[in-house]
Amino acid sequence: MSATAATATAAAELLREVEQFLYREARLADEHEYDAWEALWADEAIYWVPANGDDIDPTRQMSVIFDNRSRISTRIKQLHTGKRHAQTPPSALRRLITNVELLDPDPEHPDDVAVGSNFLVYESRERGVTLWAGRYEHRLTRTPEGELRIAYKKVRIVGNDRPLHTLAFLI
Amino acid sequence: MSERRERSLPLGEAAAGDTPVELVSEFAAVSLVVDRDGNGPRLRIEDLKTGQVGFLDPLELETLAWLPEGALHRFLDPSFHRWREERERG
Amino acid sequence: MTPTTVPADSAAWDALIEPDRVHGSLYTDPAIFDAEMERIWYRTWVYVGHESEVPQPNDYVVKSIGPQPIIMSRDKQGEIHLLLNRCTHRANLVCDAAKGNSSAFRCPYHGWTFSNTGKLLGYPFNSGYGGTEEKRNLGLGRVARVASYQGFVFGSFAEEGPTLEEHLGGATDAFDRLVELSPTGKLDISAGWLQHEAKANWKMLVENETDGYHPQFVHASIFSVAKSGIGDLYGEKSTAVSRDLGGGHTENDLRPEFRRIDEPMGWFGTTADRLPEYVEHLQAARGPERAREIMIDGAPHVMVYPNLFIAEIQLFVIQPLAVDRTVQHVTAIQYEGEPQLNRRMLQQTIGSVGPAGLLLADDTEMYERNQRGVHARTPEWLVLKRGTHRERRDGDGFTIGDATDEVPQRAIWRHYRELMEAGDGDGAVAPPAVPTANGSVR
Ligand code: FES
Ligand SMILES: [Fe+2]
Repeated sequence: MSATAATATAAAELLREVEQFLYREARLADEHEYDAWEALWADEAIYWVPANGDDIDPTRQMSVIFDNRSRISTRIKQLHTGKRHAQTPPSALRRLITNVELLDPDPEHPDDVAVGSNFLVYESRERGVTLWAGRYEHRLTRTPEGELRIAYKKVRIVGNDRPLHTLAFLI
Repeated sequence: MSERRERSLPLGEAAAGDTPVELVSEFAAVSLVVDRDGNGPRLRIEDLKTGQVGFLDPLELETLAWLPEGALHRFLDPSFHRWREERERG
Repeated sequence: MTPTTVPADSAAWDALIEPDRVHGSLYTDPAIFDAEMERIWYRTWVYVGHESEVPQPNDYVVKSIGPQPIIMSRDKQGEIHLLLNRCTHRANLVCDAAKGNSSAFRCPYHGWTFSNTGKLLGYPFNSGYGGTEEKRNLGLGRVARVASYQGFVFGSFAEEGPTLEEHLGGATDAFDRLVELSPTGKLDISAGWLQHEAKANWKMLVENETDGYHPQFVHASIFSVAKSGIGDLYGEKSTAVSRDLGGGHTENDLRPEFRRIDEPMGWFGTTADRLPEYVEHLQAARGPERAREIMIDGAPHVMVYPNLFIAEIQLFVIQPLAVDRTVQHVTAIQYEGEPQLNRRMLQQTIGSVGPAGLLLADDTEMYERNQRGVHARTPEWLVLKRGTHRERRDGDGFTIGDATDEVPQRAIWRHYRELMEAGDGDGAVAPPAVPTANGSVR
């Protein structure tokens, strides 16, 4: 096998691994497997859902979610109380993830995997059906054992500059 | 006037070139820079001789681009607003 | 719920609003909603925006008064205008962007161009039109009266009526307290707004803002996991009080608890030593003694009727769109020149409010469940009796109750009834009764 062919195979394998990771994350979120979902996160992480555009400065502007690792954990603990009314009962959910694409690595984290994807979430609860569409940008890091973990996840919701309904499930 | 207030802006906007440009002739010297302190970009014009500052927004600038020959003459009249005798004011 | 028509006289209102209970149809009847728009939203003073949202000459932002689209502009001289976002030609929206800087607005449909003070500057191909007289009458519609208090800009569609300060009455103190927390006395409302949509009637939101009875239930999940002390502030043993400020304005006054605990910046869930820059600035501006009092008392929790909720570190603006549809706008309050504190206020706000907020998502779930519940046929009434037997007057003559009492909700409905009974006529609404120190109402 030539060097180029070997690189191409490695890239295809990485893409496959990353896709499977994203699908697993999506399934765990859809099925409210809170602990298993949280376990996919790295020890240092950012979970960001911007508002009023995709390129705002979250340290100066309002976002829908801008969680550091400890707030992700608080969010999960709150869901576990069973008294997070906005998720009691939990929303019925299914999401599709497509257009998975490996992106150029973040220069500050050259060893991490940058991946973009599109999503469509179908949410049904007593309020009615809500469709959430958008784009995920993940930065995945590896544990010493080589497993992927989410170090950064940005969720660019289509229409994040307009009124949004309650979004209390894990998007 | 030249001091910039710290305001958050969409990153895309703040990245654009904000370097002042000086235009000088034998009659006037002005410095131009894009000002981003407001809710949208404006052209900041400073008269380097007096420090007088004015702003023009994009619609005003577009209007200037379309000014017919001679339309500025009214404003170039030295007594239009800048050098007026006291009794003419008000 | 059986559809009603809008009551024509006082006796008919008696059938819908009693001192301690209200009829469910008030939340579901589209005819009532339309009447509310005319009698409350298009007449009294309604909060529109903050002066710091248009910091520079020629800045503008697109705002609203209920369903009405409003442009808030600052002209070259610095004066603020509230204009209707509707072209006087054939009614296109003039401004599309959420904000910008322009001395003039040009309608995208046929190019009519208005100054940011509302004046019609001209139209394309002007030989098709008459002279300047015609132009004079074709300026943008304006909100009849514009006034601001401590930088908060309000508009009233009524040509005449109480002044803004008369309207705010007992609520002016909340604004004074809020700006006093800022060392420069100025707020910077520049963090942008989340828009949270609820399938619920706007009054459910207004009533919930100063409902001290719900936090222990609705927010139990987050209080337990975040080990927050907020729950205790609204407990049975709390010394905090609920207050009727007159004019439909209401308050949960937590100061008695904060003073008992006596921890500067405790109101913000922290201690003074963690915010050294802010503390230094505040001490320099107000003197060490006053600064300490300010840092103990904290920021107000006041619902300014009908649409501005000052929630300590956040501003909420309520926008009714239909009888069962409301958008709640929310932003973090920022103090001018306090980046250290501002960052914390912003992050705490983002965590708490909006569609995914650890607090507000649950409040909003309640509004929506309430809206569905109120459609059930019986019982037709909502009960607001809590604490009726222990209502009392405070030193300023305001009616107060325990932290969890429904004093605010009764006050809101009493004022609502006054406004609605005044009818659709052009008659100006009398300023709210302001209690005097001896407890009488003048
Ligand atoms: S509708 Fe605005 S120019 Fe015609
Ligand atoms: Fe609440």
